[in-house]
Amino acid sequence: MPERAMPERELTFAQAVREALAEEMRRDSRVCIFGEDVAEAGTPFKVLSGLVEEFGAERVLDTPISEAGFTGVGVGAAMTGLRPVVDIMFGDFLTLTMDQMVNQAAKAHYMSGGHWKVPMVLRTTLGATRRSAAQHSQSLHAWFSHVPGLKVVLPSTPYDAKGLLKTAIRDENPVVFFEDKMMYKLKGPVPAEDYTIPLGVADVKRVGEDITFVATSSMVQVALGAANMLEKEGISAEVVDPRTTWPLDEKTIIESAKKTSRVIVLDEGYGRYGVTAELAAVIAEGAFYDLDAPVKRMGAMHVPIPFSPPLEDVTVPTEETVSEAARRLCNKS
Amino acid sequence: MAFSVVMPALEMAQETGKLLAWRKQEGDRVTKGEPLLEIETDKAVVEVEAPADGILAGIRAETGADIPVGRTIAWIVAPGEAPPVESDSAAPAARAALHAKTAPSQTGATRAAVSLAPSAKISPKARRLAKELGVDVATVSGSGAGGEILAADIQAAASAPAVVEQTSGSIEVPSSLGRIMAERTTQSWTTIPHFFVSREVEATALNQYRERVAEGIERSHQFRATHTDVLVALTARVLLKHPRLNASWSAEGIRLHDHVNMGVAIAVGDGVVAAVIPNAHAASLVEIAVQRREVTERARAGKLRPADISDATFTISNLGMYQIDQFSAIITPPQAAILAVGAIADRVVAVQGQPAVRPMMMLTVSCDHRVADGARAALFLSDLAEAIRDPGKILQ
Repeated sequence: MPERAMPERELTFAQAVREALAEEMRRDSRVCIFGEDVAEAGTPFKVLSGLVEEFGAERVLDTPISEAGFTGVGVGAAMTGLRPVVDIMFGDFLTLTMDQMVNQAAKAHYMSGGHWKVPMVLRTTLGATRRSAAQHSQSLHAWFSHVPGLKVVLPSTPYDAKGLLKTAIRDENPVVFFEDKMMYKLKGPVPAEDYTIPLGVADVKRVGEDITFVATSSMVQVALGAANMLEKEGISAEVVDPRTTWPLDEKTIIESAKKTSRVIVLDEGYGRYGVTAELAAVIAEGAFYDLDAPVKRMGAMHVPIPFSPPLEDVTVPTEETVSEAARRLCNKS
Repeated sequence: MAFSVVMPALEMAQETGKLLAWRKQEGDRVTKGEPLLEIETDKAVVEVEAPADGILAGIRAETGADIPVGRTIAWIVAPGEAPPVESDSAAPAARAALHAKTAPSQTGATRAAVSLAPSAKISPKARRLAKELGVDVATVSGSGAGGEILAADIQAAASAPAVVEQTSGSIEVPSSLGRIMAERTTQSWTTIPHFFVSREVEATALNQYRERVAEGIERSHQFRATHTDVLVALTARVLLKHPRLNASWSAEGIRLHDHVNMGVAIAVGDGVVAAVIPNAHAASLVEIAVQRREVTERARAGKLRPADISDATFTISNLGMYQIDQFSAIITPPQAAILAVGAIADRVVAVQGQPAVRPMMMLTVSCDHRVADGARAALFLSDLAEAIRDPGKILQ
C-alpha cells in the first residue's frame, strides 16, 4: 500500500512557540511561565493564548511590572528545581534584567563549582518597524552574546522556533531566546510531533554560489527575499542562519564563505560592536584566503529607532538595500 | 598611489647600475625632483631624482649592490600608505638576476620590473590563487570596481597561456635597449599631450645645395654628406628663433634652451637611438656631417658613449631612405618637439597656376602642447620651409 503523503502542517511563528511551550509543560511539570500579561492576556502578541487555561495560574503566572524582580525569581526558581520560562515582553526591558542574567544566572554554575545550575529560559522580543518607538524596538541580543555562561537563540522560522525552544527549555543552562515580534504571523511548516534542534548548529536556508548572506532572526527573511531578487539577475546567493549566536556554528559559516568568497553579514542589532562584527571577524579569521571582497556588515543604523515610519524604515536593512549591497560586492551594480 | 623608484638606464648598453648611496632614508619625506640616491655606471656617477612627492618606503637595495636596470629599488608612497608588495613569483627571478653576472640579458626579472603601473589592490583569495596557479600578479589587470584584482582575474590569467598556444606565435624577449625604448615611449605617449603639424616643402634647392656641398666634403673628408646633415644644420639655426620648440617641460616651468643639441634618430639592431650633435646651431655643415657620421657608426657598433646620447634639446627623425612619405614621431622627454622627415619624391604641384613636377618633402613636427601650441609649431615649420627653399642663405 503506497504511503500517503501527509499535507505539511503550517503554523505561525507564534503558534509554533506556543506549541513548544505547551508540549514541554505537558512533558515536564517543572516547566512554568511567568512575566507581565502572560496569563489571561496571553501577552500583547497573543503568543501564550490558551496556556493558562490548560496549565492553570500556578504555572502561568502574571507578575507585577518588575522585570528585575521576576527575572531574579526565575533565576532562584531554576536554581531550586523548577525550569522557568521568563517572559520579557519587549527586548528593550532586558536592561532591567541585566544583573540577574549577567551576574547571577550566567555565573551561578561556575562560581558554585557546578553545585548550582540555572536551567531557565528568558523569552523576549527584538526587531523594529512595528512603529513602537525607541524604547520598544531595539534588538539587544548582542549584549547577552557577549557574556560567558549565557546561550542566545535567534529562531527565524516557525519550525526553528519550536525545535529550538524545546531544546532551550531542556538545557541545563540559562538560555536567552529572542523572537522577532514582526515575525509572529509568519507561517511555515511545523511538524506536530516532538522534535528538537540542537543549539550551535547553523542552517543553510538557501543554497547559492556567488555570495553568502549570514543572517540572524528577522534578517533571515530579508536575506531570502534579497536572494530571490538577485536570482533573477543571475546572482546566486546562499543564506546561512546561525540560529544561535552562542554557541556559534563557526564551521558552517566559514565553509559557506570559502565557497562563495563574498559575504554580507546581516543582523538587526546595531552593527557597531555587534553580532555582525563578531560574525565578520569569524569569517575573516577562518576564510581570509578565500575572500574575494571585504566582508560587508549590515545592521540597524546607529541611532535610536525613530517613531516616524519613513525614518524607522530606513534604519534597518531591507531586501532592496541588501540586494544592492550584494550587487556591489559581486561587481555587478 | 605608490610610485616606483627604479634603477635607471643612463647608457645604451647598461645592464646594471651600482647603488653608491641613498641621499634619503626609509620614511623620509621627499619632494619630486629632489636627489634620492647616487648611482654609478660604467661611465659616470649620477644622482637619481625622486619621481614624485611622498614618503620614501620599501627600500630594497643596499649600498654597493649592482642592480639590474629597470628594477624597482624603493617606492614613494603617500603618508600612511604601505609600499606595494611585489609578487612572490617575480622575486626569485629578480634575485637570480642580481647574481647572474654573466647573463647578458635577463629575462623575467627586469622585464617584470619595467612595468610602469603602480601596484594594484588584490583580494586575499586572488593572491592565494596567484601563488597556487603561478600567475604573476604584475601582469594581471583587475576587474574590481576600484581596479582590484579578483579571483576571476587570476583564473583568467592562469588559463590564458592555453589560448596563446592555440594562436601560435612566439615570444621575443626584448634586449635592454628594447626595454628602455618601450618604457620611454610609453612614458612619453601617456604623459605628454602630443599634437602634430605637417607641411609639404619643395626640395629642389635643398637637393642642389646638398649636391654642391657634398662634393666639397667628399673631396676633403672622403664621404658624402646627407640630406639629414643639411636638415640638422638648417633646423638647428631655425630653432634659435623658436625657443618654445627647443625647450623642456619641467616642474618649475618651461625651460628654454639657448643652444641646440640636435638628436638624430638612428635605427640600430633592436630599436632606435637618438645620437646627439651638441651645439648644432653653431656647428658648420662639415662639422655636423663628420660628427653625425661618427656617432652613427658608434651607434651601429653598439659603442655609444654617454655624451653621445645626452642632453638633446630637439630631435630629427628621417625615414626618407625608407621611401616613407609622412609619419608622426613620439617626443623624447624632456624635449618638447621632434621633427619627422619624409622622403623627397617627385610630385605634381601647382606652379604659377600650372601643373609642374617638383621634388617635394613632407615635414611633420610633434609638439608637447604644454610647451608649444599649434601657432608656434606652424611658425616654426614656416621658417624651416623658408630655410629649406634657400639653404645657402642661412648656411652661407
